Amino acid sequence: MSDDSKGVWVYLQHDSAGLTVPSLELIAAGRSVADKLGQELVGVILGSGLDKMADAAVQRGADRVILVDSQDLETYLNLAYADAIYSLVKERKPYVLLITANEVGKDIAGRVAYRVPTGLATDNVQLAVEDYSNPVLGQFKDLLIQVRPDFGTRLARIYTPRHRPQMATVRPGSFTPLEPDPKRKGKVEKVPFKAPGYPAKVTEVVELPPPTPDLAGADVVISLGLGVLKDRSGSPKDPRDAYRLALDLKSAFETRGMKAEIGATRALIYAELKELEGIIGKNNQVGQTGATVKPKVYVAAGISGALQHRVGMQNSTKIVAINTDPGAPIFKIAHYPVVGDLYEELPKLAEAVRRGAIAG
Amino acid sequence: MLVIVLTKGVPARTTQAAQVGGVLNREAMELVLNPHDAKAVEAADYVKRRVGGKTVALSMGPDTKLVPLMKPLYASEVSGVDEEYVLSDRKMAGGDTLATSYAVALGVRKVVERHTKAIEELEEMIKKAGYSEAVKAKAKELYAANLLSNRVYSDLPSVRGTIVSRFLSGDATSSGAVQELEAEKARVSRFIVLAGTKTTDGETGSVGPQVAEGLSELLGVVVPHATYVEDFDVDPSASTVDSRRMIGYLSQKLEMRLPALLTVAAEYRPRSPPAAGMKEVRANSYRGKVYQPFKWTAEDIGADPKKIGLVNSPTIVGTGIDIGKPPVQKSVGSTQVFLKAVEKTEFEGKAYGPYSRGDVAADVPEGLVARLRADGSVGVFDVPMLAEELTA
Ligand SMILES: Cc1cc2nc3c(=O)[nH]c(=O)nc-3n(C[C@H](O)[C@H](O)[C@H](O)COP(=O)(O)OP(=O)(O)OC[C@H]3O[C@@H](n4cnc5c(N)ncnc54)[C@H](O)[C@@H]3O)c2cc1C
Repeated sequence: MSDDSKGVWVYLQHDSAGLTVPSLELIAAGRSVADKLGQELVGVILGSGLDKMADAAVQRGADRVILVDSQDLETYLNLAYADAIYSLVKERKPYVLLITANEVGKDIAGRVAYRVPTGLATDNVQLAVEDYSNPVLGQFKDLLIQVRPDFGTRLARIYTPRHRPQMATVRPGSFTPLEPDPKRKGKVEKVPFKAPGYPAKVTEVVELPPPTPDLAGADVVISLGLGVLKDRSGSPKDPRDAYRLALDLKSAFETRGMKAEIGATRALIYAELKELEGIIGKNNQVGQTGATVKPKVYVAAGISGALQHRVGMQNSTKIVAINTDPGAPIFKIAHYPVVGDLYEELPKLAEAVRRGAIAG
Repeated sequence: MLVIVLTKGVPARTTQAAQVGGVLNREAMELVLNPHDAKAVEAADYVKRRVGGKTVALSMGPDTKLVPLMKPLYASEVSGVDEEYVLSDRKMAGGDTLATSYAVALGVRKVVERHTKAIEELEEMIKKAGYSEAVKAKAKELYAANLLSNRVYSDLPSVRGTIVSRFLSGDATSSGAVQELEAEKARVSRFIVLAGTKTTDGETGSVGPQVAEGLSELLGVVVPHATYVEDFDVDPSASTVDSRRMIGYLSQKLEMRLPALLTVAAEYRPRSPPAAGMKEVRANSYRGKVYQPFKWTAEDIGADPKKIGLVNSPTIVGTGIDIGKPPVQKSVGSTQVFLKAVEKTEFEGKAYGPYSRGDVAADVPEGLVARLRADGSVGVFDVPMLAEELTA
């Protein structure tokens, strides 16, 4: 480890519309870390024809932007991207390197970390800066605390005390982008990159429509859990009825101009109920192994609130939980606990939401 | 062709994971094979049927636990794995993804080396002993050990004109045979590694790419990788692999030169191998199965003691934390809230308020609540109020 390492780096992804939302979140994540450390926040952008991107990164909170602008990076190839990031890291020695925990970030991060070498904490949902001491390794000042879902019980703190940069991937949806500030000023530099020959080449790239439902883009997510199987008295119910009630609530919110989508717990999806085939599937899953969402309103109906589910929705602005069991863990994080049967409460809520539209 | 599948033993129930200081104690738990690896096993079987070769399962963890878990893989769909290797050593336990990937990469290298060494042994014998029974005996021994492909030597009646038989019959000179064996060595070096996209315990998805990077370092050639592969094929000459994978909203086709590593997504469905080219498939294949799993220690794979196990892992798992502070709650049907705005009010000599509609009447004394309830200023939070707040 070299203690002269300095700077908080964020690797920023972009598409035809500019920096992606997870990249803006990553800048916000990096900003909070950089402020606590009193260090510079550096955005690293790879690709070709990047001039427009730099301003956006600065306005959203970066102090400096490094554009690795090269024809050789026009098409995404993991080996080239890992090389470009690695050579910058080796030369300039950042203290922290953050990367989005999506398919691209995960494709590159592991290779870069191995080569440095340094640790890699994946899928973090929170970041902090704290002193750390360990009876064997000693004292460390101002370490990056990487917080990620644990093996299944809680959140774990991960430290990388002896290696630099401290490398972490950050789950999309865990941080809120900063408002753009057109007056913010930052330094922009361009760095060339020449790819050596690789034993790999991209032969085709096709852009597919975003998956339906668009959970991340919704104002309201109405999620169903295994509670759909039985009503309050314990008699079995047809889960399609619960789905219809959820759809009705969705359309009620839509009459109020709020975009709503249907989510589900993994337990409900993995139950592979015949009735829900083709209606609710993997794309509906919210949680550690599904989507992370933070809508304005999250309705959890018949969901116990296992940690793996909570990490995917706990940052929602307003959480409504409908559950027959007053002791259900979901109530600990709900702003609006509703102790009751979802088969009774969902229609009441839909009606009230619609009525509000008339009254308002 | 060598087809190497990485498999891992994971806790049967994650909720009951036995942990010591944030590290899973695999010896104390009931383990199952990582469910995400099933697709890698299917993919390996496809490659073997497509171009010929043998499938090898490689795992790391306590061998007493892993060997029974891996046994069923010998009989997995369609033709089962042919050999199994377990990297088992307390010194390697508790490693993070970096330490683990290093050890696994060493294991892969050693599997490949066993095969190149066998060919080299045969080359030496040919150079030293010339046309003789000793060459045949050596070839037979290595073939029986499942280390030579049918192209080099075979006891199958359907396979004719192996390198060894042509050498022994005088159809090939010794230098010609050695040259052909060198080409076979190059074929062995064009192996493929297949892994699941992630594991159900760590969920990092980092090990695949890191093993590829580790192999690049160990072998001195760039070993490319592709993650989340939904479809792929190996070309008939077994030198490149074409893969298709999803990255975000993009579907990307990636052509990689072998050796390469793929992590196989849940969406993967094996193709049907073409019926043509069976002769080449047979030439690339090996004798069959070795039912006795190989167990290797850290020393066996040549691991640097400073790079393995818990103590040499860059990341440290610290204390856990419980998430989220309890929010200000409004329970439908029980929480008392203000139904309308109330100006600053005096009650028993103290000032309260002002309050707005929706505020929780939590630290308002009971006497005052009674008064406010009576005049309709405070009431129980209900569904219409909830709807109002949600759509505000
Ligand atoms: C590695 C790993 C990753 C995971 N990833 C995810 C993930 O991404 N997302 C996820 O959701 N889970 C995930 N899980 C699973 C998670 O641990 C839980 O098992 C799951 O979230 C529970 O789903 P549930 O709340 O629908 O079911 P349950 O826990 O069975 O809860 C059902 C709830 O419904 C209530 N109920 C019953 N009847 C009614 C009724 N009529 N009206 C109202 N309430 C009713 C019950 O009181 C109960 O609280 C993961 C698990 C592991 C091990």
